Amino acid sequence: MLRFYIEVARTAFRRQLIYRWANLAGLITNAFWGAIISYLIIALYHARPVAAGYSVQDTLRYTWLAQAMIMIVLTFGWYDLMLTIRSGEVISDLSKPCDFYWYWFSREFGRDLYYLLFRGLPTYVSGMLLFSAGIPGRLDVWLLYAVSFLLGAMLGIAYRFLYNVIAFWVVEARAVGGMAGAIALFFSGGYLAVVFFPPWLRAIADWLPFNGLLNVPAEIFLGKLSGGDLWLNLARQLVWLIVLTLVARLVAAAATRRVVVQGG
Amino acid sequence: MLSNILSDLSLYRRLIGMQLRTQAQYKFNLLIDVGTYLFVTTMEFFGVLFYFGSFKSILGWTIGEVALLTATASFGFGLAEMIGAGIDSFDVTIRRGEFDRLLLRPVSAFIQVIGSDFRLRRLGRLTQGCIAFAIGFVLLPGFHWTPAKLLILLLGIASAAAIFVSILLMSATLCFWTVETTELFNSLTYGGREMMSYPLTIYHQLLQRFFLFVVPLAFGAYIPVCYLLDRPLPFDMPAVVAFASPLVALAFTLVAGAVWRFGVYHYQGTGS
Amino acid sequence: MTTMIEAEGLSKTFRVARRRPGLIGSLRSVFDPEVRVVPAVQDLSLNVGRGEMIGLVGPNGAGKSTTIKMLTGILVPSGGTMRVAGLNPVQQRRELASRIGVVFGQRSQLWWDLPLIDSLRLLRHLYRVPEARHSANLANLRALLELDEFMDTPVRQLSLGQRMRGDLAAALLHDPELLYLDEPTIGLDVVAKARVREFLLAINAERNVTVLLTTHDMDDVETLCPRMLIIDHGRKLYDGTVTAIRERFGGERMLIAILDPAEFAALARDGNGLPILGDLPAGVTIASADNPKIALSFRRDAIPAHELVAWLGARYRLRDVTFHEPEIEDVIRRIYEEGLLLAEAYV
Repeated sequence: MLRFYIEVARTAFRRQLIYRWANLAGLITNAFWGAIISYLIIALYHARPVAAGYSVQDTLRYTWLAQAMIMIVLTFGWYDLMLTIRSGEVISDLSKPCDFYWYWFSREFGRDLYYLLFRGLPTYVSGMLLFSAGIPGRLDVWLLYAVSFLLGAMLGIAYRFLYNVIAFWVVEARAVGGMAGAIALFFSGGYLAVVFFPPWLRAIADWLPFNGLLNVPAEIFLGKLSGGDLWLNLARQLVWLIVLTLVARLVAAAATRRVVVQGG
Repeated sequence: MLSNILSDLSLYRRLIGMQLRTQAQYKFNLLIDVGTYLFVTTMEFFGVLFYFGSFKSILGWTIGEVALLTATASFGFGLAEMIGAGIDSFDVTIRRGEFDRLLLRPVSAFIQVIGSDFRLRRLGRLTQGCIAFAIGFVLLPGFHWTPAKLLILLLGIASAAAIFVSILLMSATLCFWTVETTELFNSLTYGGREMMSYPLTIYHQLLQRFFLFVVPLAFGAYIPVCYLLDRPLPFDMPAVVAFASPLVALAFTLVAGAVWRFGVYHYQGTGS
Repeated sequence: MTTMIEAEGLSKTFRVARRRPGLIGSLRSVFDPEVRVVPAVQDLSLNVGRGEMIGLVGPNGAGKSTTIKMLTGILVPSGGTMRVAGLNPVQQRRELASRIGVVFGQRSQLWWDLPLIDSLRLLRHLYRVPEARHSANLANLRALLELDEFMDTPVRQLSLGQRMRGDLAAALLHDPELLYLDEPTIGLDVVAKARVREFLLAINAERNVTVLLTTHDMDDVETLCPRMLIIDHGRKLYDGTVTAIRERFGGERMLIAILDPAEFAALARDGNGLPILGDLPAGVTIASADNPKIALSFRRDAIPAHELVAWLGARYRLRDVTFHEPEIEDVIRRIYEEGLLLAEAYV
């Protein structure tokens, strides 16, 4: 069975390879956005060299990391699953002798790999070239980052699975998906680093699942997390990952039942 | 010539009226779309505002001033997004081979293209603009209006809309040659718009000159707002330049029109 | 003005760049394009009088659409001259547009989400038709095409036949002098096709509308068009009547004879069960036999029809005789496949 899922992931990866122009366009968009925000940040830091514990270098890195990671962990505007529900294709997917959630998980994992190599990496490299973003020097930082990134990516898959699968029950699923994506983007640090949130909002954000999508790996990358804080955040990531995955699986099971009983 | 323009405008009014009627059929969907868009743009806006919790200003621009700038940009470019919706989806028209039909009618192809869609849901961005204006003025207790300032603001918004629609038009004209690069130019277009929400001075000198003298988007938001806030204009331009926004917009529009006509001419020479 | 379309030596050559695969390939194509020259239409001359109905026939890719695009001003010719309704189509495109109507069989000009009546009303403004004339035309067309039953239905819910009738009305609301139809009966059922043809004949008769019709359906041509143009490989191969072409290239005709049943039954049979008619003239074969009918297939150049009838009548008691012409499709197919006219076109 594992073989099957690996194959699904591989196919998804390969399928993305065709969209070269779209990827290039997306890459330029990411780099463009990164540049705009970088200018903004440099201008902001004219007033003071350090804010909320971040130096200008830190914030620039965060920005470019966000741009690099966003397509991998969030991919807001991802409606593939919703479309198969709308079109009815999902019924044949649900009748396949494989687990519905793991099937989509593998697909998205394959796509995430593609985005890591062909979007994430080039985006961050442009940040390094254009704004001297720089990378951490310590191996242990890289290792922890990789772990956190992986957790975040898997969390992201569970999240987008959820806001798509509600299309089984909600007619206005697309609008809900749009808002879900925007909220996740905001609270994960996609608009601005979570560290700049007003304290009351920060307190809330720390406990939301979105924090683990982008902010936690990013802070590890910046070397801002250590000791107790580090393990706490990683634990929160893990817990949310488990929770959302369980919820997603429950919902998938409910959807399967619904289809079987009602015939879609 | 004048009667041509008038009849084209009346035709545009009718085409848009028809669009609105069709979209109004789906009131519920429309409301949700507007709401979602409002939500997303407001979130973006607050994202910027939160920076001011840690930083006092952006190169001297305070929170209220930045809010005003964002509001002006949102308004002008939001208007353009609503009006220029037909131009934005021109690549679809070309892909479907429907442009021939437009040429077979005894009226301007451009009016038909721009009249083919009108995105009411962009009202979400305009609403966000209003919120931003409100916040801005609340945070700028020292601000007082003069008739000149009001005029500049209105002209600025109108200019922003005209300039942005022109950019959309030139971007659409590329579809006559290839539809492959549509996404790329979309991101450049919308990226440029995004840049106008922040003070022009944060960008590299070259970029500043670009957005003033090549693609004059800055005349749609930054310049008028500088005038409103009694701030110096970039490159030591005299304040009166703010009144030139409409002229700049007009010139740019004429350029876009020429590019479009060239595109149509090319289309007629080579087929689809 | 009696001449509607005057075209002399029209030609159109396309320069097609070869697309190279891959990202590097695409970049190379920008700087060093490999261009192929494709002649879509070559040296086409045409003269159409007012009120004529002409069928434009040819295989796919023959250059029919390209010709129409040039005549309507959408496409600029590479060579040749033309005048349509006294105007230069390219330079006076918009003025010409108000004098012509175009119907595409596969693409509708009606607005998808709106009721038919809204589309028809909106077109008044697109074509700048005065209110009174528009109302009169609309009433007339509603009656002729029987549109009332679905006037208020959104176009996307209409059947193909209904949509075609809607498109026909849309094309004629502004009283065009010339009507181009591109595959108007494609996909329609027999009844719908008949209606469309009746309608076209009616407007041609009543309003003297010149009609140029592209089609693959030979029944369209035979019913509607006294004159037919065959286009292949961008050249005009034939310009004349349907009958003439059938006679020239018809090849085989069929004679159906009704014999006396008793006599029929008495005929000897061959191995295939077909009756044997002794001394059949050369070029004549028995196609089928079904008491009391016998069908003889004969080549035009082998024996004239009346001689065959005489031969038959001399030997058997004939109750009735009819002739079947070859299907024009088969004729046309032969012409394409064997390039029968292409050789002549180069003369």
